[in-house]
Amino acid sequence: MQQYLISLLIFIPLGAAFAGILIPSGNHRFFRIGTLTISMIQLLILVIMYAGYEYDGGVQFIEKQPWITLPLGTWGTLKAEYFVGVDGLSFPLIAMSVFVMVIATISSWTISKNVKGYFLLFLLLNAAIIGTFTALDFLLFYLFFEFMLLPMFFLIAIWGGERREYASIKFFLYTLAGSILILIVMIGLYISINEPGEAGTIVHSFNMLNMAEPSNFISNSILDPNNPWKLKFYDARYWAFLLLFFGFAIKLPMVPLHTWLPDAHVEAPTPVSVVLAAILLKIGGYGLARIAFPIFPEAALHFSWFVGLMGVISIVYGALNAMASRDLKRLIAYSSVSHMGFVLLGLASLTGEGIAGATLQMFSHGIISAILFLLVGVIYDRTHDRTISNYSGLSIRMKKFTVFVLIGFFASMGLPGFSGFIAEVLVFLGAFRAPTANGLLHESFAIIATSGLILGAAYYLWTLQRMFFGPLDVKGGIAADTLTDMDRREYLMLVPLSLATFAFGVFPQPIIDLIDPFAQGLSHMVLTTGKKLTLFP
Amino acid sequence: MESGALKGILDSIGASLPYFAAELFLTVSVLLLITIGLIKKEATLIHVAAFFLMAVTLGIEIAHLNANPQSIFSGMFRSGNSFGDFFKCLFSVSGLFTIAMTWRSERTQSRLAEYYALLFTIVLGANMLVMAENLVILFLALELISISSYVLTGFLFDKKGAEGSLKYFLFGSVASAVMVYGISILYGIFGTLNFTAFQLPSIDSIRLFYLAGSLTLAGFLFKIAGVPMHPWAPDVYEAAPMPVVAFFSVVPKIAGVAILLKFVLYCIPAGINWQLIITAIAILTLLVGNFSALWQKNVKRLMAYSSIGQSGFLLVSVASVSLQGAEALLFYSSVYVILTFLLFFFLQQFENRAFTTIASYEGAGKPFFWPSLFMLVAFVGLTGLPPTAGFTGKLFLFSALWESYAATGSQLLLWLLIFGLLNTVVSLFYYLRIPYYAFIRPAQQNFQANNLTFENLLGAILVLVILILFFSPQLLMGWINRSNFVF
Repeated sequence: MQQYLISLLIFIPLGAAFAGILIPSGNHRFFRIGTLTISMIQLLILVIMYAGYEYDGGVQFIEKQPWITLPLGTWGTLKAEYFVGVDGLSFPLIAMSVFVMVIATISSWTISKNVKGYFLLFLLLNAAIIGTFTALDFLLFYLFFEFMLLPMFFLIAIWGGERREYASIKFFLYTLAGSILILIVMIGLYISINEPGEAGTIVHSFNMLNMAEPSNFISNSILDPNNPWKLKFYDARYWAFLLLFFGFAIKLPMVPLHTWLPDAHVEAPTPVSVVLAAILLKIGGYGLARIAFPIFPEAALHFSWFVGLMGVISIVYGALNAMASRDLKRLIAYSSVSHMGFVLLGLASLTGEGIAGATLQMFSHGIISAILFLLVGVIYDRTHDRTISNYSGLSIRMKKFTVFVLIGFFASMGLPGFSGFIAEVLVFLGAFRAPTANGLLHESFAIIATSGLILGAAYYLWTLQRMFFGPLDVKGGIAADTLTDMDRREYLMLVPLSLATFAFGVFPQPIIDLIDPFAQGLSHMVLTTGKKLTLFP
Repeated sequence: MESGALKGILDSIGASLPYFAAELFLTVSVLLLITIGLIKKEATLIHVAAFFLMAVTLGIEIAHLNANPQSIFSGMFRSGNSFGDFFKCLFSVSGLFTIAMTWRSERTQSRLAEYYALLFTIVLGANMLVMAENLVILFLALELISISSYVLTGFLFDKKGAEGSLKYFLFGSVASAVMVYGISILYGIFGTLNFTAFQLPSIDSIRLFYLAGSLTLAGFLFKIAGVPMHPWAPDVYEAAPMPVVAFFSVVPKIAGVAILLKFVLYCIPAGINWQLIITAIAILTLLVGNFSALWQKNVKRLMAYSSIGQSGFLLVSVASVSLQGAEALLFYSSVYVILTFLLFFFLQQFENRAFTTIASYEGAGKPFFWPSLFMLVAFVGLTGLPPTAGFTGKLFLFSALWESYAATGSQLLLWLLIFGLLNTVVSLFYYLRIPYYAFIRPAQQNFQANNLTFENLLGAILVLVILILFFSPQLLMGWINRSNFVF
């Protein structure tokens, strides 16, 4: 039974989406309740998985089925498998995804246009996300990764705001461009790899775990570490790492490839924004930690200063942009860019703490950004206006709402007691230790990055002061009597999320236990293998 | 002539005839169709007759698959080459699809016998093309395709059709003339017209060979609408009837790429590396096709540029100059045939309701849900995204290219790899425009749609095939690979 749990996670929503086509579209309630039920079932499966999870067990809940086996003459056999499993990196991210999906489904209650289509696409997206996080076969990963785009495109394009056409196309083109970069490397990898097994036969497999083992490369193939090939000024493997890095950095998003994100967020409906910010961005960081770093460790060492630098730039530039934003949702979108910079910085440090911090940051930002976008949704549902300067003194009319805004803003700021704090502290520890531990980053990186925290405090506190305190005043044709306080459905969404960020902030040990073996393992693996490959190319 | 020599020739012709059965049957079919058309004017009868004859041709071709390779008609053709035989089946399948489309068309119901006779002639020409071993036969086959195509282009008998047809004719004649010139120089260099027997030319004729080769290339590129011989495509596509457009974007194109690949592969033993020229052309074709498609407003013109872009992808297989490239071409062109017809069946259905510009698809997704959904799958497949077989096809194409790059280390191949893949991003932008209008823009007018149509049934089946070929490509690729590979 254990080995099928992940498949259940993926195929229950997928199956439901196809079954849902047959149900008449008039029955709105059915689609809402149905989608919620499926998310709850996923949550239940997750609890079962957590109960059986072994902290030091490495990759577990593995399911491996033959998928494509294609003998191609003397060239060898092409082999792709249905190969899924979870470890300390993917398990927290799946847990967060499923949890956020439940909340996002509740938040989708307000969708009234073409309800059937919306929920079916939502279920497809759900399946694709879980698949992306669990796939350990590159082709399978790529399938889910691409398959996420289409539902997301339609969710933004059909249910979005005024400039939804522009935003959805931009989102699609940017992400597709990123995935093409990944595809180039994928093709290069599978033709260079030989699955260890029988001697004399060449099996080109897509198994990502095999790709991380340098001895599995066919000697003198293009991505073979012992291959002396150079393309212009870098080794082919360095180029491959850079392609993967930029491919995933678009998704992350990293400055300067981030410009699709604010547009997509501003136009997307609230639940789609939640999914986008909380889950989809994490796939960028996940891809770096799962694919780019372990498969090309020597390139990761070589470029770690660059990755760290881009992280620092994202942190500061994102924060500055957030401060200049007039639209509340845009502000939060830019704060996401800033926070995802910490993921890059943590990974670049290549220390155990840094990688654990990056993973935890992805987990914690998933929860916190969900809170923030839901909060924007609360106010947008009432007034259909998100301009910060149109509001003042909201705390007078909306006291309970203000409490949640305070929680959300403080959590995002990285205040102690919330999960973001733990994650950012770990990243800083890693970044500060990196210059002495492995000499990869410069001391100034961590120092400049801390200014991101200060800027974060600045834009959040300034927003609080502008929108929530002071005398009650609304401009821009907003009727003051629309400003009612939160209703029961909104509590249902915000209370669990707030409790989660609080719980993991006060008592982070369970999640750190989960992540730590993976983080130590990756750090150790990249440093030793990377150094070995750099010394003996 | 001595009677013994004559008898020998006659015997060899007689012995060759059984290997030429499908082509002979196609020739007979052309005559039969014209005769039927003279006796009975009833449209249904002609449709059924054409469908039946094409199905029989397909049957003959399938029966001859995996036959022993044989040079027939004293070195004019090679029968029993699994590469060509596969394509011949593909052409007949395309023919069947085209006949079904014509049956569903509202605009091409007159002069059907002549129409089908021309269609069969093109299939015959394409068959001869992929079997050719001799440059004269190659030219003859190309002309057979071209001349019939000129007439078919104008088959709506309106002013636009006449214009498109004439443009096509003028352009085609020039291309043919240039090609013949190139062939004559090749004959001068090698002393033989059999291109499978080309030997290494002497050092001082290498330059002349490149000139002759490039001139010959013009003829191929014209047929596959490759840059710089592509400008006829948009006008012809816009003027021709929808089934003819679908047919044009499949059969002559694939036949042209197939014979080009064969030609290039045979030039390699002669020590001449064509790779760079083909690679440069492939890059240009991709860029011109995809970027021009971005600005189109008319659906047929959009499809014309899209087919130029697709030629670029097909040329990737030629650029890799390897057996793997050939196998990838077989897979990709099969998928391309299915995707093209899947798309064109619905484009025609919409054209029957006067949807001609992209903007006219506004809001069509609601009343015409299934057609729009099937079209979306076709567009996603043509872009090459999973989970459609279009992705698998591109994966094979670019894998072959990667391998070829790893073997030769030629920088231009790397550029083709990068440009080719990045062009899929560009192509997504225009391929998504029709689904975008259909699903996202609000409807301007009310339509009544019937869900139980022939198109929907066929569409569902084709979509299923496209998905199945993604999830288990071994069904087709394994079969391609098992057959003993001979050109």
